[in-house]
Amino acid sequence: MKSFITKKTFLGLASVVTMLLLWEILALYFNSDFILPTPVKTLATVLKLFTDPGFIFIAGTTIARGIVGFIISFIAGLLFGVLAGTSRNFNIFFRPFLVTIRSVPVIAVTLLALIWFSPGSVPVFIAILTMFPFICTNVTDGIRSVDPDLIAMASFYKVSRHRLLTEVYFPAIVPFIISGASSAMGIGWRAIIIGEVLSQPKYGIGTIMQEQQTFLNIDAVIAWTIIAVIISYVFEKLIRWSEHRIVIWRDRNDSENQ
Amino acid sequence: MTLKISKLNKKYNDIRIFTDFSLEINPGLITCILGPSGCGKTTLLNIIGGITSADSGEMKGFDARGMSYIFQDPRLLPWKTVRGNIEFVISGDISPAERKEHSNRLLRSVGLSDFAGYYPSQLSGGMRQRVSIARAFACSSDIILMDEPLKGLDLTLKQSIIKWFSELWDSDKRTVIFVTHDIDEAILLADEIIVLSRLPAQIMAHEKLSRIPGSQNNNDPQLVRTRQVIINALGDLSGYNKEN
Repeated sequence: MKSFITKKTFLGLASVVTMLLLWEILALYFNSDFILPTPVKTLATVLKLFTDPGFIFIAGTTIARGIVGFIISFIAGLLFGVLAGTSRNFNIFFRPFLVTIRSVPVIAVTLLALIWFSPGSVPVFIAILTMFPFICTNVTDGIRSVDPDLIAMASFYKVSRHRLLTEVYFPAIVPFIISGASSAMGIGWRAIIIGEVLSQPKYGIGTIMQEQQTFLNIDAVIAWTIIAVIISYVFEKLIRWSEHRIVIWRDRNDSENQ
Repeated sequence: MTLKISKLNKKYNDIRIFTDFSLEINPGLITCILGPSGCGKTTLLNIIGGITSADSGEMKGFDARGMSYIFQDPRLLPWKTVRGNIEFVISGDISPAERKEHSNRLLRSVGLSDFAGYYPSQLSGGMRQRVSIARAFACSSDIILMDEPLKGLDLTLKQSIIKWFSELWDSDKRTVIFVTHDIDEAILLADEIIVLSRLPAQIMAHEKLSRIPGSQNNNDPQLVRTRQVIINALGDLSGYNKEN
């Protein structure tokens, strides 16, 4: 088991090293900071950014937008997901809405949102539109996947409706909610940053990336990209960690062997 | 009070499962309903349990204090521990301490005290079925229904589960109605065996066994006789089958 983990870590590291090497080769080939700065120079910029007094405002605002967008999508997704999962009619009625939201290009909505909303709320709006369908669909799927035999068992033993919801339905859909939240978060950060690039609010990673691009500070653009990736990664880890805490019952034996 | 089913009628589409079917079950005993597959025995159990409704007929004595059901697959909640699954059916109006005391006793009875904190995915099939048995006794019911709870388990496991069940039942004698197609299971566990025919179901034999359920002395002359009666009754069924 231990050697397996070591191998996995090794392969992960090898992949990162390969990416850095390719980057280095390309940077050496172009030999211009205006096209592609070297990894070392970019990492130095990242470190410098961390010590910049404005950093916390810029990154913090983007993170706050992400969290607000996520919370709204989460609540709405849970609500509509439960409705669609429990009522067939509502599901049929609601499906076209979801399909529309999912298939309209982000850019198109952004252009409209720029007219409708203040620059600061455009990214949040875009994030909600991209995250909500994921959470909603997952909650619906989760409710539908609840084993009817378990429901029959609980009703046979005359378990109260409240306990049926909290002890049978809810735990059954938690893994689906978490997986929906995880996909939503992954795509949500990208939506937030696209929104910021286009709407140019006062603070935001997207705002600063656009600014730096204008001044051809390519190292800063890449540095902010790396920071965005780190933020996304940290939140993904947070969600996975909470899954591990909450869904302890699932395939315990299997996960112990991994 | 004797449990009575009289003039039961049930059709599925155009198939008559029960036509004026009547049955009496003695309370406080383990009654086995034995029959070939597709003879309507599970339907009968589900009608008794209120899961399926009959087209017509009368049932007396089944509504007392509720029922427990031991399903063919254990139907445990995967997100609850062994203890959680047992306590799931204990009604809400007792104190947590009493609840724990109650589940502790049941865990001991099925030999799973050391596994109270385990999740179903960490248990073997036989252990899961033991949890399901403990859960049936945890619920304060008068009647326990069992639908082939030993199907698919190997002989050793069957015998061990029958042993756990019998021990638990000895300390808490409820009316048990048990459905199976396996003569050995019926003889090992039941006080009374009712043999059903093919559809529409009729009672082919009603045998009483005067012995301690779970004892495994197969040479007992009464057992040998009972087995012969059942085999004869089932033998008539195979004849019945050929005619059709």
